[in-house]
Amino acid sequence: MPKLTIDGHEVEVAAGTNLIEAARAAGVAIPYFCYHPYLTVVGQCRICMVEIAGQPRLALGCATPAADGMVVKVETSERAREAREAVMEFLLANHPLDCPVCDQAGECLLQDHSMREQGSEFATHMTETRRTFPGYERRLIGPHVVQNQNRCIHCSRCIRFTREISGTAALTYKSRGNSTFIDTFDGSAFDDPMSACAADVCPVGALTVREFRFRKRSWKLLSTPSVCPGCSIGCNIFIDHHERVVYRFTPRENPAINATWLCDHGRFLAEPLNEQAYLDPQHRTGGQTIRVGWGEALAGIAAELKDASGLRVVASANLSNEELFLARELFGRHLKGEIAVPVAPGEPRKMRNGKGEWLHATDPHANSAGARRLGLDLVDGEGLSRFLYGGAGLTLILDPGAHPFLASPEALQLLRVGTTVVWARREHPAAHAATWLLPTPSLAGNEGTFTSSAGAVQRFAQAFAAPGTVHRTATGAMSPSCPTIAVPWGPPGEARPLWLTLAALARELGVPPLDLASPADVFALMARKDKAFAGLAWETLGGLQQDESFRERQHVG
Amino acid sequence: MEPVLLRARGVPDSRSIATYLAAGGYEGWKKALGMGPDAVTKEVLDSELRGRGGAGFPTGRKWSFVPKDHPGPRYLVCNADESEPGTFKDREIIEYDPHQVVEGVAIASFAIKANTAYIYIRGEFVRWARILEDAIAEARQRGFLGKNVMGSGFDLDVWVHRGAGAYICGEETALLESIEGKRGFPRLKPPFPAVVGVFGQPTVINNVETLACVPHIIVRGAAWFASIGRPKNTGPKLFCVSGHVNRPGVFELPLGVTFREIIEEHAGGVRGGRQLKAFFPGGSSAPILTAAEVDTMADFDACAAAGTMLGSGGIIVFDDTVDMVDVADNVAHFYAHESCGQCTPCREGSDWCMDILDRIVAGHGRPADPDTLLRICRFSSAGMTICPLGDAFALPISSIVNKYRSEFERRIASATPLPQKKQPVLPWAGPCPGFGI
Repeated sequence: MPKLTIDGHEVEVAAGTNLIEAARAAGVAIPYFCYHPYLTVVGQCRICMVEIAGQPRLALGCATPAADGMVVKVETSERAREAREAVMEFLLANHPLDCPVCDQAGECLLQDHSMREQGSEFATHMTETRRTFPGYERRLIGPHVVQNQNRCIHCSRCIRFTREISGTAALTYKSRGNSTFIDTFDGSAFDDPMSACAADVCPVGALTVREFRFRKRSWKLLSTPSVCPGCSIGCNIFIDHHERVVYRFTPRENPAINATWLCDHGRFLAEPLNEQAYLDPQHRTGGQTIRVGWGEALAGIAAELKDASGLRVVASANLSNEELFLARELFGRHLKGEIAVPVAPGEPRKMRNGKGEWLHATDPHANSAGARRLGLDLVDGEGLSRFLYGGAGLTLILDPGAHPFLASPEALQLLRVGTTVVWARREHPAAHAATWLLPTPSLAGNEGTFTSSAGAVQRFAQAFAAPGTVHRTATGAMSPSCPTIAVPWGPPGEARPLWLTLAALARELGVPPLDLASPADVFALMARKDKAFAGLAWETLGGLQQDESFRERQHVG
Repeated sequence: MEPVLLRARGVPDSRSIATYLAAGGYEGWKKALGMGPDAVTKEVLDSELRGRGGAGFPTGRKWSFVPKDHPGPRYLVCNADESEPGTFKDREIIEYDPHQVVEGVAIASFAIKANTAYIYIRGEFVRWARILEDAIAEARQRGFLGKNVMGSGFDLDVWVHRGAGAYICGEETALLESIEGKRGFPRLKPPFPAVVGVFGQPTVINNVETLACVPHIIVRGAAWFASIGRPKNTGPKLFCVSGHVNRPGVFELPLGVTFREIIEEHAGGVRGGRQLKAFFPGGSSAPILTAAEVDTMADFDACAAAGTMLGSGGIIVFDDTVDMVDVADNVAHFYAHESCGQCTPCREGSDWCMDILDRIVAGHGRPADPDTLLRICRFSSAGMTICPLGDAFALPISSIVNKYRSEFERRIASATPLPQKKQPVLPWAGPCPGFGI
């Protein structure tokens, strides 16, 4: 454990730690552009130059391991400051300086460093014509990534990402020297399964994500820690949102699962979170659909539950541990109903963790491991069909998206036979067959935990409550062109998370132990009662434990 | 001095192995196999042979850096990527005496216990790559290379690897990347190639001329070699003289001879009886020396003391008709074209220098330009870049600006402003009415 001094702060770090990370631990920021903690060190950008006492030349913060007794000067070294200023001058000399129209502004390392260290008196004698790459200023290099080569600072992060992480080696440098530019190796489309990460690691606006470009200024976004709902691997994400609209997912650092990466499949599940087809509870009687309040709906459903001749509950592997637990306790234990958790087959997905190992999944659900842990009955499509054919007076569907079979004409016919209660957010045929329809919010409006396929119980936080409808223009853009609509979202709706309605139903049904006030309380009860979750405490759950200490967003942006 | 490295120049059929054997060829290789690797390394160390590629690092010490207990293979690489402007000595050795190189490669491989050696030759040297391949085939046929060389139990394969035309691939780590089939980007050091080199294995990289010296050291002894030249700067050296001299060419002279002797006696003096103005002592990447510094000794330490370097020994001579601004511009063009583009100061700085110098040459210089050039050069050299290419353009340009500043100022004094680009005339051009408050 080498002990060293950085700008007067003493710090002890693990052997092999480089000076950038050591300085971070000491509370000193060494700027960098090409360094990335999960990529190889190349020392190309030269901005991380620091002075080490006793060494005649400046050293690279990224490539120099911390050594015992080292005295490092970063901010306090005039030589290092001059060198950094020169590197900035070199980089900015050929940079378009188009921050006002650049989508990376606000999360750009070059802009951040310029704001932090370049004083207003900084002037350059660079008066030559800027380097440009005609034809490469706005080029779609793949389905999700837009390139502007004029902004590139040649840090090679994107190239190293495709070589070392996604493994496709799709991107490369072409040409030489000052005319070097980034392109796909064979000139074909950049259709890497993690392609948007190349835009994430890009420290400037040279690579941007097509789906997010010009949708929202990055500094307006709020980031809520969450877990990707795309498959059972459970990558850690931030939900970036603003005023009840989700704009994107960005990866959140977790060395054990997704390091700082996110696959395109998961990343672009962000947009569908804005769909909120149902805003109020609905009751359908005699062919008429009426909007009702929650009080009326809960009382009505409680009455149905009390009178039901038989109870079938179709749960879902997309629900949180807390929701599955409440459903099991309330519908299974107290009401003696049958519960099935349908699981659908999925596409193979993979993710590389911080050690460089691949994690694989073919399970498209975020929480089938949790359902299995809770001892629920996992069924496939055929099992679900048998389950529905079993017949019962009352059927509850907690999530119509649980299995494609629920949208089939066969299933709808079965659902129309008895009384059906459906909790839904997106437009779904089963919702039209429901006697009672209860609106639920998306992942962004819920709170709870998922159990990943590797067994990690990870928390996701609530980004906002009461989502409304998001207005769209004809092109699908969220900012309306109509000047009379000032904001892209409609009035708040009445959607409530499933756990909350289940707790309320427990109160209506007179099951006070399940009438809980928050997912944390549900989790505490679950940890007490269920040995699969014994010993886990809400506050220390994986996925959120790094809430305080996660390295700043610039690692991924 | 009797010729050592160029002794075969002028001998008929000098390239054939028969001629080489008749002149005592491959005796050093036989002797080395009998001495054992450590004794060979010690002999080279004692000879004080210093690398002829440019940096002048002691060859024996370089060999001794290879880890003794490394379990995997080791490699020897002979750097024949002779691309430094004004340098054409390796070509001369290969042209007249390729077996000298092959023998040197064999002895060096034996000293570091490498069973595979590569000769990396610049792509444009098609003829000389063939000459080397023929020589290797001959040596293999005679049993000097291949499996169980001369019954010693030592195996050695030598391969000629042709480059693809990049100056940067003469830099040792970029060269290794190129051998591996990758883009010629220099590597970050440490680790040094002696520990992690080609294919991740310990590798020693020596210049052609360095390796050509090795058989002579083994045959005639370290003391003989050290008796040539000056202490710490021993042995014969090939000087390539080009530019404004009467008799340009390659001259083999002991280290420590003065540049005056090389230029005036051996190269026949400056053309047409003109005055010497300046010269590059060791290729265009060495800081320039003026006519007043012509008595500097041509060796590693004396050049370093004069603020320049011996480099590859490529002396480029300029007479008094030359404008130094044009020299700087020419140098800048070469390095801007050859910068690999990997690290910031060199990629941006070399091109920026070129643009400024082009503007001065075009007659649009500005008073601040010399200082801007010096600032760019200062922050492109001395450890600011991954490899020495940053120094290679920064040091000569800054030395030219410093030593011939008056020529820059004269040009700038008579400069005209750069013609302004026509601004597009916008329909609403003129003071904006909206902001006239």
